[in-house]
Amino acid sequence: MGFWDKVSNIDRRWIYLMVAVATFFPMIVVMQFPVELTPEAVQLYEAIDNLPDSSVVMLTFDYYPSAMAETRPMSIAALRHMFSKDMKVVTVSNIPLGGPTIAEDVTRSIAKEYGKEYGVDYVNLGYRANYVAVMHGLATSIESIFKADFTGTPLKDLPLMQDVKNYNDIEFIFVVADNATIDYWISIVNAQYNIPVGGGVTAVVAPKMYAFVEAKQLTGLLGGMKGAAEYERLVKISGSATRGMASQSLVHFLIIFFVIIGNVAYFVTRKHEKGQK
Amino acid sequence: MRNTLPVIIAFLAGIAMVISFFFNPERTVLGTFQENLLQWVTIVGGFTLVLGVFSIVRVNARAVSRRSDGWFYKLATVISVFAMAIPSIMPTSANSAFGKVFYSIFPISWAGAFGTGPDSIYDWLFNYVDSPMMETMFATLAFYIASAAYRAFRARSAEETLLLITACLVMLWRVPIGEALLRSIDVRIPDYINMFVMNGFNLSVQRGIIIGAALGMASMSLRILLGIERTYMGKG
Amino acid sequence: MKKILRSDIIRIVTLTLFITGFFAISISAQTAEDPIFRTDRIAIFIFLLIFSSAVLLYTNWAKKGKELFVRKIPGIAAVEEAVGRATEMGKPVLFIPGIADVEDIETIAGLSILGRVAKIVAAYGTPLSVPVRYPMVLAAGQEVVEQAYLEVNHHDAYDPDTVRYVAGEQFAYTATVNGWMMREKPAANIYMGAFFAESLLLAETGNAAGAIQIAGTARPEQLPFFIAACDYTLMGEELYAASSYLSREPLLLGGLKGQDFVKLLIIIAILIGIILALFNVGGWYNDIFNVS
Repeated sequence: MGFWDKVSNIDRRWIYLMVAVATFFPMIVVMQFPVELTPEAVQLYEAIDNLPDSSVVMLTFDYYPSAMAETRPMSIAALRHMFSKDMKVVTVSNIPLGGPTIAEDVTRSIAKEYGKEYGVDYVNLGYRANYVAVMHGLATSIESIFKADFTGTPLKDLPLMQDVKNYNDIEFIFVVADNATIDYWISIVNAQYNIPVGGGVTAVVAPKMYAFVEAKQLTGLLGGMKGAAEYERLVKISGSATRGMASQSLVHFLIIFFVIIGNVAYFVTRKHEKGQK
Repeated sequence: MRNTLPVIIAFLAGIAMVISFFFNPERTVLGTFQENLLQWVTIVGGFTLVLGVFSIVRVNARAVSRRSDGWFYKLATVISVFAMAIPSIMPTSANSAFGKVFYSIFPISWAGAFGTGPDSIYDWLFNYVDSPMMETMFATLAFYIASAAYRAFRARSAEETLLLITACLVMLWRVPIGEALLRSIDVRIPDYINMFVMNGFNLSVQRGIIIGAALGMASMSLRILLGIERTYMGKG
Repeated sequence: MKKILRSDIIRIVTLTLFITGFFAISISAQTAEDPIFRTDRIAIFIFLLIFSSAVLLYTNWAKKGKELFVRKIPGIAAVEEAVGRATEMGKPVLFIPGIADVEDIETIAGLSILGRVAKIVAAYGTPLSVPVRYPMVLAAGQEVVEQAYLEVNHHDAYDPDTVRYVAGEQFAYTATVNGWMMREKPAANIYMGAFFAESLLLAETGNAAGAIQIAGTARPEQLPFFIAACDYTLMGEELYAASSYLSREPLLLGGLKGQDFVKLLIIIAILIGIILALFNVGGWYNDIFNVS
């Protein structure tokens, strides 16, 4: 077996090892790269920025802990943006595992930095099963779906929720999701109830969302860790997404290298096989 | 009757949802069908959870009792199911009837360990066991993408070559070093990728698939409503 | 024949009652300020009527024996070949009806295909494994598979644990299925339904295990992964067509033709829109399709 045959049939564990090295290297040797902005990220930022101060916005934590590397920095950057504009934030999750807990941890820690008070400036509604029913139900009455918040406090005891009864009292919904719930926020909440929806999603889901941005059903889009890094740049912070760009850059280059090597090996071995025939 | 009744129920439930969509929920009860029926789905789903637990315990317990290959892992699965479930359903205070009985036997200081709140057993297991495992599994995707790209991305034809070049350009564009590299060639390249690839080819293809899939979905729904497609019920 | 006629009459009567009642209630109670009928959704209502009529019309023609051409979908045709391969090798077939719950129509499509595949598997006597993520899918899947074994008179070979609940968490599910694939080395893996981030993890492991793989999903974001790692991939609407295609029942194929006819109408509507937009006169046309 020649060299290129070996390359063509390389044990995939070597590939995994190289990916691991490319991921870890920038964590040891710190590298920082300037992040360029896309129009979709700017559109989302401006949609929030143009809202009057003290507006009520809904921020969703529709993601499992598995996708936190991509989505959590989006939530953090969004919260910083909202709290810096004194907005009232209602968080909700359509994911049973992770979402409500992440919402609780992230929101409380960011709110503390900005001196925001729970129940007055922000509320975590938590999770209710069946997101289609939840999204329809919130249009009629938030209290019909969430009798109490994440910690079990009845909504009637939370001052913020006295002014927020349904979608009519919410100016914008910022969806951070790693799954199909964003499709429903668009097709149910935006299309049927006419509430502006913006989104931050994992890199895998992002290409599908361009169609909704273009159709103006989605106001702005953050795609994957790069999208999160863009939002961090827009709100002038250097978070985990900006730091993660170095690892992502190296891995992307490595994959391109694999594609080139794989193709060279393919053509060389094919030529060799043809020659033998 | 065993064949007809489920079809009738499926038809009525489906039609109720369709009717509900066209009526104002504030004016008529017809408009509230959708919300109410969806709540019922959640309730039925709750009952079927018992079936799931029964299945997982039966399959794994059988393997453990027979000492078949990897029985130890199956035992760990069964223990994990109960380790997560039992502490989370235990009472967190002595306010309920069950709580009163429970805390007359056990010390009330245990209450903090139960339920799903912060510092509970469930919360600890979730944060320090379940969550890192989920993150690890998702992270393996990067390794699998690399190996799949190495094996499957071949320039066998003109179309495949075009796809390959486009994929490489998008990969470069999505990272800062790549974007800087593209800008050094021509400052307009990243904007062109966003405009023509993502908002052009990608968008139109996605729309084509979405429209086609939506029609397929609607057609399938109609076939189910009318009882033409019944395989999902184990019939036909 | 009598049975078909009776069910036809029931359908027609129900639909007529529904449509008449619908309009009667709407017209009698309609007020301009607070309408009982959502007039803003009239375009969808008209689309619904056109779509339903087209599907019913083609189904009716199919029932009357009209020959309907349906193009060959290689992925679906390969299902039988894959099961045959598994039988020859004496290895199991893995079927995953997606990882969404039963309320997702993609899962229903997956279960319908499972019914067809289970019949082939039962007839060949090939072992089948169907791990599921939701208890409701478990209940429905067990019913589907058991019925398939009954229909080919092999009920004695049916194992109630063929369809089994694995885990409610996405990656716990994936890890279990991947582990099973590497241990059991199935000859054929069939993935039909809604898939998310686990699609490539499953398909790449299946590839490493040496299985022939057929996937189908209506989620455009997961298609590239399946295309890269599977031998055949059903894209978008093909997933919904698969069950009808495998059954070869004219009634089901009629539904597919009706759907194609509506797709043709949509293409025409898009072309008209493009032409009007080019001449900057499409405002009123866009309004027809604006729904809130």
